[in-house]
Amino acid sequence: MKRTGILFFPAFDWSLGDTHPEREERLLYTQEQLFEEGILDLPQIKQFSPRIASIKDVLGAQALFPNPEAHTDTLDPHLIAAGSAILLGEAQVNGEIDNGFVMARPPGHHSGATVWGNRGFCSLNNEAILVNHLRAHFGKTRIAIVDTDVHHGDGTQDIFYHDPNILFISLHQDGRTIFPGSGFINEMGGPNAWGQTLNIPLPPGIGDEGYHYIMENWVLPRLEAFAPEMIINSAGQDNHFTDPLASMNLTADGYGRITELLQPDLAVLEGGYSIETALPYLNLAILLALAGEDYHHVREPQKLKRSSISLAALKPYIQELKKQYQTLKPEFKIQNKPNFPKGNWIYIPHSVYYDTDGFQETRHDYIRECSNCAGTVYIESRRFTQKSVLVRIPFQACPDCEEAGYDLWDHLQKPSEHYTSGLLQNQLRDKQDVWNREEGLRQF
Amino acid sequence: MINRVGIDVGGTYTDAVFFHDGRILNTAKVPTQSENLVETLMNAFDTLKIPDEQTINQITVSTTLVTNAILQNRIPSVELLLFSGNGMNVNALPWPVSYLKLSGEMDFRGREIEAPNLKEWKRLPSSVLQDNLAHVAIVGKFSHRNCLHEEQLAAYLKQLNPSIKIALGHEWGQANFYRRSLTTYLNLGVSDIYHQFAQQLQAAVSARNIQAPIYILKADGGSLPLAKIRPIDSIYSGPAASVLAALTQSDSDSSSIIVDIGGTTTDIGLILSGVPLLSSKGAQIGAFSTLVRSLAVRSIPVGGDSVVRSTDQGFIIEHYRLGPAYCLGGNAPTPTDAMRYLRLIDYGNLQLAEEGLATLLPPEGRTPQSLHDLATEIINKVVDQIAEAVDSLKREWEEEPAYKVWEVLHPHESKEFNTLVSGGGARGIAAALGKSLKASVHIGAFPEVSNALGAALARPTFDCTLHLDTYMKQYRVEETGEQGKWTGSLRPHREVEGFLETLVQQQAAHYGIEIQDIEKEPFDFFPIIQNYQTVGQIIRGAVHLRPGVIGRVQE
Repeated sequence: MKRTGILFFPAFDWSLGDTHPEREERLLYTQEQLFEEGILDLPQIKQFSPRIASIKDVLGAQALFPNPEAHTDTLDPHLIAAGSAILLGEAQVNGEIDNGFVMARPPGHHSGATVWGNRGFCSLNNEAILVNHLRAHFGKTRIAIVDTDVHHGDGTQDIFYHDPNILFISLHQDGRTIFPGSGFINEMGGPNAWGQTLNIPLPPGIGDEGYHYIMENWVLPRLEAFAPEMIINSAGQDNHFTDPLASMNLTADGYGRITELLQPDLAVLEGGYSIETALPYLNLAILLALAGEDYHHVREPQKLKRSSISLAALKPYIQELKKQYQTLKPEFKIQNKPNFPKGNWIYIPHSVYYDTDGFQETRHDYIRECSNCAGTVYIESRRFTQKSVLVRIPFQACPDCEEAGYDLWDHLQKPSEHYTSGLLQNQLRDKQDVWNREEGLRQF
Repeated sequence: MINRVGIDVGGTYTDAVFFHDGRILNTAKVPTQSENLVETLMNAFDTLKIPDEQTINQITVSTTLVTNAILQNRIPSVELLLFSGNGMNVNALPWPVSYLKLSGEMDFRGREIEAPNLKEWKRLPSSVLQDNLAHVAIVGKFSHRNCLHEEQLAAYLKQLNPSIKIALGHEWGQANFYRRSLTTYLNLGVSDIYHQFAQQLQAAVSARNIQAPIYILKADGGSLPLAKIRPIDSIYSGPAASVLAALTQSDSDSSSIIVDIGGTTTDIGLILSGVPLLSSKGAQIGAFSTLVRSLAVRSIPVGGDSVVRSTDQGFIIEHYRLGPAYCLGGNAPTPTDAMRYLRLIDYGNLQLAEEGLATLLPPEGRTPQSLHDLATEIINKVVDQIAEAVDSLKREWEEEPAYKVWEVLHPHESKEFNTLVSGGGARGIAAALGKSLKASVHIGAFPEVSNALGAALARPTFDCTLHLDTYMKQYRVEETGEQGKWTGSLRPHREVEGFLETLVQQQAAHYGIEIQDIEKEPFDFFPIIQNYQTVGQIIRGAVHLRPGVIGRVQE
C-alpha cells in the first residue's frame, strides 16, 4: 500500500475546438468511473486541488516566443496543468505522498524548448516545468522521465536533449507511421549528454506482452544504471487497442502492469483519446497500481479484436535496435559563429511544425562543448519575420559556460543585431530574463 | 406571525425554546431519557408552558435517535446484495458489514455490460428468500445511471417473499458505489426505529390537539416534514443546529467561525457569507462512510468537563469526563476548574477549583504563580486544539477540488471572520481563543438553548441535481434517484432549464415546502462526439435551497 496523491483536473470548461479530441468530454467518463469506484475513499489516496504555474516556472524550462504576453489569451488551462504537476511533485518531494498521478488536461509532451504556439495539443510541457522547478527549489539533480505515450515525446526530448542529468526514455509507435514523425534510435542526446536520450520506436500492433518485455529488458535496466532520484512517467494512454489515433494493442491490465514495473514517483497524464472505451479503465488501473492495489479486475468492456505481434517476432527487432543504440557514435558538427565566445560550438539545425495552427518554426541550435557541465545552449528561432533567441545557462554550469551565456545575451541585444526578443534562462541561479527590442529587459 | 418550537435532544439534556415574533419567549431544559425519546420530547415541550398551543406554526426536532441507533449498533441485520461488476476490488475498501456479490454489470453511461445471472438468484440464502421479516438492500455499481438490475432483482424477490423490505441503491443517486451501498444499508436498517418514533411523536402531538406540522432537522442544517425525511438524513443534526443558531445571531452575509463547547466535545463549524459550509464528502458515522449531505463540522474530543490528568511531562487533557468539574463537586480537575480559578467564569466554587488544580502539581510546587500558569496552560491547550480544527475547516474550504479552468482562475476570496462561541465554557476561553485566531470573539446569546433555537428557526433545504444524457435519452436526479426517459432534443438549451424547473417544483410539492432563495448552478454542457460529429450532450445542472434560518433573534 502506498500513499498516493491524485490531482484530477479535467478542465470541464475547456476544449481546443468543438469536436477536437482534446475537449470537455475527455475525462468525463474517467471521473464517473473513479468516483463511482469510491477511489477517493481508499485510505491511502489523497486528493489535491490544482494550482496555477507562474510564468517564471515556465521560463525555467521553456522560452515563450516572441514574448510571454503573446500567449496570455490561450495559456490559462496549460498553466493550471503545469501548476498541478508542480503541486503534486512538491507533495512527493516533501514526503506527503509516496507517489502521485497528475490526471490533468491539457497534455504537454510535444511542447519543446521554444514555444510559438500549440502543437500536438500541447502548449506547455508539464513534466519539464515540474522537473526544472524541483531542481531549482528542492535540490533534485538526477531525474528520469519515461514517456509511455504512443507518440514520441519530442517536446520533452528537445528540452532535455543536452542535459546529462536527465535521462529521457520514450517508447512510441514508429515515427514513420504516426505524429510527430520523430523519435528514432539515433536521436541519443547532444554532445554533452550523449546516451541520455533513449528512443524505442515500436512497430504498430505491440500488445501487453511485448511492451512488458521491452520494459523489463531494456527500460528498467537503463533506469537502474542511471540511478535517478526520481522517476516521472509521461503516462499517455493511446497505446490502448481502442485508441482512434494510434495502432497499438495494449489493455487496461497491461497499463497497470507498466505502472507496477516502472514504479514512477509521479505519473503525468499525456494523450489518450479513446475517452469511453479506454480512459476510464486505464486511469483507474494506473491509479490502483500506484496505490499498490490490485488492478487485475479492471477490465474494459471491449475485447481485443486483432492479435498482437508475437514475442518471437518482436525479440529480434528489439535486439537489432539495441545493437544500433550501443554502436552508434556521435557525429556532431562544430560551427562557431563570429562573435561566439571561446569554445567549440556544436551546430544542430532543427525545424518544428506546429500542427494545431499550421506554421513552421526554424531553429539553429548551438551547444558549447563542455566536459565540466551540461554546456551553454544558444538557440536562434524564427517564425516568419520574427527572430528570437534562447540562451540557456544550465544547472551546475561551470564559470566558463556561464560567462559564455552572458556574452551571448549581451551581444544579441546590440542595436546592430536584428533579433526581436530573447530569453536568458539562467538555471544555475534560477533567474530568467526576458528581453524585447521594443520594451527592453524584464527579470523573473 | 412566527410561532415556532425547537427541541434539541442532547446526550444528557434536551433543550427547547418557544420563539415568537423575533423573540425567545420560553425555554426549557429536561433530562434526556435515551430509552424514551418521545416522552423526553413531550416533556420538554410541556415544560415550555406555551399559553396558546394552537397558534404554533411549526415544531422542529433535532434528535439523536438515528445517530445513536447506529453508533450503539441497535439496527436489525440487513442483507446487502451487490452487483459489483469489474473494476477496483470491492474489498479494497473497508466494509463494516458483510455483503454478497452477484453478477450483472452496467457502465458509466448506464449501458448493460453483463446481464444478471438468474441461477445465482435462485441460490440466494434462505435469509433473503424465505425470512418474511428480511431487510434486503440491493445496490449496483453505476445503478445511479441505470437501475434495471436492482429493480429486476427486487421484483424477483418480492414475488417469492412478498413481505420483505427492500431498499434500492439508485435512490441515492450520487456517484460512489461504496458509499451508496452503505447508505442504502443504514437507511433501511434504521427505518423501523425511525418510523415507530415518527408515529408515536405525531400521535403524542396530535393528542394535545396541536395541528402544527412536525419537522426534523437534518445533517445539512435543513428541516423537512417528519414523514418525508429519509431517516439517515437526521444524523448529526446537533452540530448543524449550533451552526444555525449562530445564523440567528449574525448579519445575513457575514462569515463566522462557530465554536460550541460542550462537556466532552467541542463542535466547530464555518459560515461563509451567511451560508454554512457543506462538507464536500458525505458524512462518516461510526465505521460507515455515507452519502448523507452534512455541514462541514469538526468535532474534537475536548470540552469543559474533560478530565485533566498529570503526567511526567506535565498534563494531558483526556477524551472522557468523570462527572462534573471539581469546582462543581466532581472528582477530577477539568478545564472548567482552570477557567474558574482564573475567574473567567463565575459559576463553581473557587476554593474547589484551586484544590482540583493543585492535585496536578507536586505538593511543594503549589504556589499561586504555578497554579496560575497551569490554569493558563490548560486553557491554551484547549484553544490550540480548537484553532487547529478551525484551520483544518478553512483548508477544506480553500482546497475544494476544482474541475474547471474558471474555478481555478476565480478562487475563494479570503474573508474576514468573526468568531461566535457558545456552550458552557464559552466565557472561559473567549479571550484566549480570540488571541489565537486573531479574530474578534463574541459570546453567543442563549448559550444554554442555542441548539434548540437553531432547530426552531431552520429553513427547509433541498437539492436537485440533474444528469441528462441526450444521446442515451436518459435523465437522472441525484437526490431522489429518479430515472426517466428524455424525449427532448439532442442539444437542448433553454429546454433543459424548464425541465429542471419542473423537477424542482415536483420535488417541492412532494415535500410540501415553499421554495424561495433558490440557488441555480450554471449548467455544464458536454458535447458527445463520435467520429468528429456531435451526436448528443451530457448536461449537468443543479439547484440548491441552502441551509438558513427564517429570521433573526432579538435579545
